[in-house]
Amino acid sequence: MFLPRMTEIPPAVEISHLIKDFKTSFKRQPLRAVDDVSIRIMPGEVYGLIGPNGSGKSTTMKALLGLVAPTAGKCAIFGKDSMKVDSRNEVGFLPENPYFYKHLSGEETLKFYGKLCGIKGAKLRDRVKQLLELVDLSGASHRRIGGYSKGMLQRIGLAQALIQEPKLVILDEPTAGVDPVGSREIRDLIFKLREQGITVFLCSHLLEQVQEVCDHVGIIFKGKMIREGKLDDLIAIEDQTELILKDASPELVAEIAALVGKHAGAELISTGKPRTTLERLFLRETLKQESNN
Amino acid sequence: MNPVSTIKAIPGHVSRTSVIARHAFTQLVRMKVFYFLAFFAVILIASNFFNLPQHEGPESAGVNILRSIKSWSLGAMTLFSVVLSIVATALLLPKDVEDRTLYTILAKPVPRLDYLAGKLLGVLLLVFVSLALMDILMVGILQLRTNMVLTDQMAMAEARGWPAADIALLKAEILAQGPTASLQGAVFSVFLRSSIIASMALLISTFSSSTLFTTIISFLIYFIGHFQADARAAYLSGEAGTSDGILARGVTLLVSLVLPDFQLFNVIDSVIEGQVMPLFIVGKLTLIGLFYAIFYILASWFIFAEKEF
Amino acid sequence: MTQGKKYGVLVLAILAAGGLRLPFERSLTNDLQAANLLPRKLEMRTGEKIGQTFSAVSLGGLRTLIATLLNLRAFSFFSEQKWVDVEDTFDVIVDLAPRTRYYWDTGSWHQAYNAASYYLYESEIPPLRRKLAWRESILKGQAFLERGIRNNPDDPKLYEGLGVLLSDSNKIAAFSSPNEAYEKSYEAFMAAVETGNARGYAKRAALYSLARVPGREMDALALANEIRKENPRLPPTVLGLLYTLNYHEDPAQDVLTLADSIFPNRKIAYEILGNQWMRTRDYFPVDGIARVMPLLEKELGVSEEDSVLKVKLLSPMNPDEGR
Repeated sequence: MFLPRMTEIPPAVEISHLIKDFKTSFKRQPLRAVDDVSIRIMPGEVYGLIGPNGSGKSTTMKALLGLVAPTAGKCAIFGKDSMKVDSRNEVGFLPENPYFYKHLSGEETLKFYGKLCGIKGAKLRDRVKQLLELVDLSGASHRRIGGYSKGMLQRIGLAQALIQEPKLVILDEPTAGVDPVGSREIRDLIFKLREQGITVFLCSHLLEQVQEVCDHVGIIFKGKMIREGKLDDLIAIEDQTELILKDASPELVAEIAALVGKHAGAELISTGKPRTTLERLFLRETLKQESNN
Repeated sequence: MNPVSTIKAIPGHVSRTSVIARHAFTQLVRMKVFYFLAFFAVILIASNFFNLPQHEGPESAGVNILRSIKSWSLGAMTLFSVVLSIVATALLLPKDVEDRTLYTILAKPVPRLDYLAGKLLGVLLLVFVSLALMDILMVGILQLRTNMVLTDQMAMAEARGWPAADIALLKAEILAQGPTASLQGAVFSVFLRSSIIASMALLISTFSSSTLFTTIISFLIYFIGHFQADARAAYLSGEAGTSDGILARGVTLLVSLVLPDFQLFNVIDSVIEGQVMPLFIVGKLTLIGLFYAIFYILASWFIFAEKEF
Repeated sequence: MTQGKKYGVLVLAILAAGGLRLPFERSLTNDLQAANLLPRKLEMRTGEKIGQTFSAVSLGGLRTLIATLLNLRAFSFFSEQKWVDVEDTFDVIVDLAPRTRYYWDTGSWHQAYNAASYYLYESEIPPLRRKLAWRESILKGQAFLERGIRNNPDDPKLYEGLGVLLSDSNKIAAFSSPNEAYEKSYEAFMAAVETGNARGYAKRAALYSLARVPGREMDALALANEIRKENPRLPPTVLGLLYTLNYHEDPAQDVLTLADSIFPNRKIAYEILGNQWMRTRDYFPVDGIARVMPLLEKELGVSEEDSVLKVKLLSPMNPDEGR
């Protein structure tokens, strides 16, 4: 059970044993989009959910936002059940490939979402101005959204998600279809959020990006969570030990190499800078999963 | 523990619903439906300036043009309100789902009932504002034209040396065709009917798969609804009659229970013809309109509440 | 709740809500019918074509507009003298706007007056059939007006229109019995009076019709006296009728004394009674005119050759004559 204990701060996100089936067509076996996924994100963390397209990332997020009802399991935001409206007071959401009302300008869009959250008057004006500056759209604030580029849409979407100063931001593929420059801008924005102590839950299939910004990572594949943990732990190679030496002379390195040679079983693999990438980790884990099946 | 941040206040249902309603209104206005209104205004003004060819004795001269102005105006109001309430309602919901704007709205603390009610009220707000503008135009033109007809007819009656009692009758008859309180009742009935249609279309759109389906079914119900009263009468009067088959009785009962009675709103035509619409009738029609609107919103919510996107 | 269960609950709710509102809607329909805002079912179904009723019901809010447009079409049919089309169009029009007097009035007028006279004088049909077509047309106009009255029992003008049609000298030959026509005309005018909204002329018109029904002279006289009491300034026809009706009651009385009691002076008496004598095609009673006329003429110095009584009179029954 995930009832928050009184002494503990509730986690920003608590997904426990989430299962979601979709009916496909008549009398066919339902499609299991999410299979027993549990995620816990503590306040202030930046969590990246990675997985290929169709692996259940978006469904997990929608369940967390109450847009789909779990077949089994539970989702909660700051301890509040996702199926209840008040769980969404502290959350901002940027859907994948967001579209907004084309007939509104950027500024009107933010005002609309602000009013939905109960922000009014001068506070709303200030907040909208502040966010337009944050996402660098002040110049385009009076243009209709219909004329926005993909990157601008993504940024106004982010601003919209932040309108009520939520403590949790959920981003579904925030850089999908955005050019590298736009992508970098969005990454920088995520850094800014992290600095402000805002919890970020993002999903992406762009691993490099996740590696850059996230401190916790989950790998989801075919609806199942296959690896989860701190990024640093995950990309550490368990049967290897890293010695990081400062100002070591080539003689010292040679001596260490010789020492290693004396121990049976131990082996010096390289003396470079041992680092795997998230990408390699991801491929390794998914391949393992494939061969298990 | 829920730390409250500085800028938010949790808004009530009313204010959130009104935000969504105003937004839907803006959305529809910017879809340029108001061109419809301009078109209407042109027709109305045209019908005022041209005397249509018809037979008029000196005693009925002009009264027909008053009826014609009313027919054109309320006819245009009927068309506009019925088409707009069905099409706009059928369009708004699927459009939000398709464009995924619904995700961003429901991801905010917005109860789904507020969302539905807001969309419906937005459509109704547009219908109301449009009808009010048309009404003002109609009353203005009708007033002008009534004064003209009255002046002409009074002159005619005096020239012919009619007795005072006959002149008073003539005057009353002309004024009855002018802008009366009953005429306002008829315009309000147009709005009430539109609120029934729109809320019904909302319910259909919560489970329909396409805008086209919603539109077609709504129009069908609208037309068949005109015969609900006949089905009801047939069912209620069939109690003693043994000739009615069980099937026929079942069908008439089903029709009268499921479909709204749109024949009630044929009072609009009677008012155009110059009949008086008492206030209590307006009151009862309002009750019926409210009953339908509230029932359909709640039913829509019932279906929409657990819908997944 | 599963999808299926949900829809089940929805259907039940719709049926329950229907059951709740049904009595209310029914009572409202009754209220509307009582206030003449909805047609009563019985009226709607008498002889009307089902297709027309269908369109009339389902065109809520657009009916009078369509009627207006059809009225324009009827006008062009009229201009082209397509009388059958005019008739059909007006049948639809009154179905759409049954409470607009103008349409009943105009539709009837087209048949009874325009079409009738067209058949009689202008059409190319054989002369033998002309009169038949003329007669049929007038009767159609009468029937249409009577239908209008059934739909608008409180409208004085429709009654007046019927009264006028049934007492029209040019039409009277179309009715199988002129006496019956005049009697019906009287009833129509009196019905107009009873609505309380008739113009002052209606009661006099009722008198003119009743005075022409043989055997109803006593009733006519009573009505004439009533009119006289109500209105001291009487039109010539009422004065003339007062004379003939009074004479009819008591032919033995002194005619000059009678005339003096009715007319302002003998010259006026001469003019009014002379006119009445010559209006043979109007079927007005002429009782006692032949007796008083020589006395009046003598007094006014009219020579015997110029006497009104020697003027050649038109035969009343033939609509062709005199044109």
